Amino acid sequence: MALSKEELKAAILEKATNAPKPQLYVKDFYACDPDSKPRAVKNAANELVKEGKMAFWSSGSTTMYAAKGRAKDEEK
Amino acid sequence: MPKHDTPMIDELESGPWPSFVTDLKRQAEKSPQCWDILGKMELSFRDRITHWKHGGIVGVFGYGGGIVGRYSDVPEQYPGVAHFHTVRLNQPSSKFYTTEKLRQVCDLWEKRGSGMTNMHGSTGDLVLLGTTTDQLEPLFWDLTHDLNWDLGGSGSNLRTPSCCLGKARCEYSCIDTQALCHHLTMHYQDEIHRPAFPYKFKFKFSGCPNDCVAAIARSDFAVLGTWKDDIRIDQSAVKGYVNGDFASNAGAHAGRDWGKFDIEKEVIDLCPTHCMRMKGEELQIDNSNCTRCMHCINVMPRALRPGLEQGATICVGAKAPILDGAQFATMTIPFLKVDPENDFEEVIEVIEKIWDWWMEVGKNRERVGETIMRVGLPTFLKVMEVDIVPQHVKEPRSNPYVFWGEDEVEGGWDRSVVEFRKRHAQ
Repeated sequence: MALSKEELKAAILEKATNAPKPQLYVKDFYACDPDSKPRAVKNAANELVKEGKMAFWSSGSTTMYAAKGRAKDEEK
Repeated sequence: MPKHDTPMIDELESGPWPSFVTDLKRQAEKSPQCWDILGKMELSFRDRITHWKHGGIVGVFGYGGGIVGRYSDVPEQYPGVAHFHTVRLNQPSSKFYTTEKLRQVCDLWEKRGSGMTNMHGSTGDLVLLGTTTDQLEPLFWDLTHDLNWDLGGSGSNLRTPSCCLGKARCEYSCIDTQALCHHLTMHYQDEIHRPAFPYKFKFKFSGCPNDCVAAIARSDFAVLGTWKDDIRIDQSAVKGYVNGDFASNAGAHAGRDWGKFDIEKEVIDLCPTHCMRMKGEELQIDNSNCTRCMHCINVMPRALRPGLEQGATICVGAKAPILDGAQFATMTIPFLKVDPENDFEEVIEVIEKIWDWWMEVGKNRERVGETIMRVGLPTFLKVMEVDIVPQHVKEPRSNPYVFWGEDEVEGGWDRSVVEFRKRHAQ
């Protein structure tokens, strides 16, 4: 059975915080809950960005996700 | 006054075309950071390497696209372009602007950025080139509140949909490209503004097979207007062209004397499927063999028009040569109804079927066309629940890459070739 939205968000955040790589593609979060549809995973990850717990990093052609403070910040 | 010595950049102004270097110098009188662009570009020419860093975390609140972060790796040397972010604006369908709107956006950009624009970027957006991080939120506020204008797509988002002039100005258009483009832009706001996919995804809409937005070469999902019935023929106008009463190609080549119009040489012999002939003074077309190349219609628009049963062909999977070489889109659905009355539900159904599959099967940074190449067209067509037809080929009449399963061939793999050859000569 698929995780609830809050459970899914917690699993995504946990992965984003502890994964060896600081920046992850949306597909890397699919494994957080194999029963959730890709669209549900994407929506949960985007909601975490809206809540300020994660950030987008974009090259312009592709987009990655990172837990707050883990993204490569070119301004620092 | 130029701030940096730029001999190599200056050289570019000597060519026969208007130069962006001249434009930059002109703009630099108002926006001094433009001198630093020229200086940094000269340095890149000298070092033979870019001095822009790759990407960043910039954006505006609630959006995950539309702003592309650009930072310099030599900020002390060229402080005016230490940050030089790009902003993509969602252009109106078919790029119809009022001059008032263009003046407003230019004034806003001189206030909040470098004043430099790109009309338009490759995907179609109106691109504002160069601003600093602190200006992004104020710019976004002004843009959305004062100009009623929104950002376009970037990153792993649905990119800003783009269409040809369509029925607004073109008699060939078989579908209302502007209505379709606008409807899907509004319908997929979430996908345009926030990342949704393994990689970028582009829609482009052309009203007829002339494909003036090059959808078949540039978009993951190309909608090309077409017709299902017969080309409409006005035989008296055909005679008019043969007699020289009308200029061929609507006069497009009238600047030079090409001699008398020759329908055999200029139309019939050039038909790629040889499906046309003159019988006496009458032009005949074997419509079942027409591939919709549009050549005859383009040459004799008074005499020939697309048929009346109109819709679209859907081609999937074009891309530029970043990873695996350039790729044209593959014809996937030969004919689809495109109906504004039901909010284009047939088109939306196809799009979402592709997305659901690609989001699951596509690898990171893999365009849908690359996924199709990797798994094979037959697998993709099964997912799309499309019956395989002879037109599902890589190139017409060569290289078919649809293969039959044993159960789909009469007699399977064990049939007698001798028996087969009795009926089919080699």
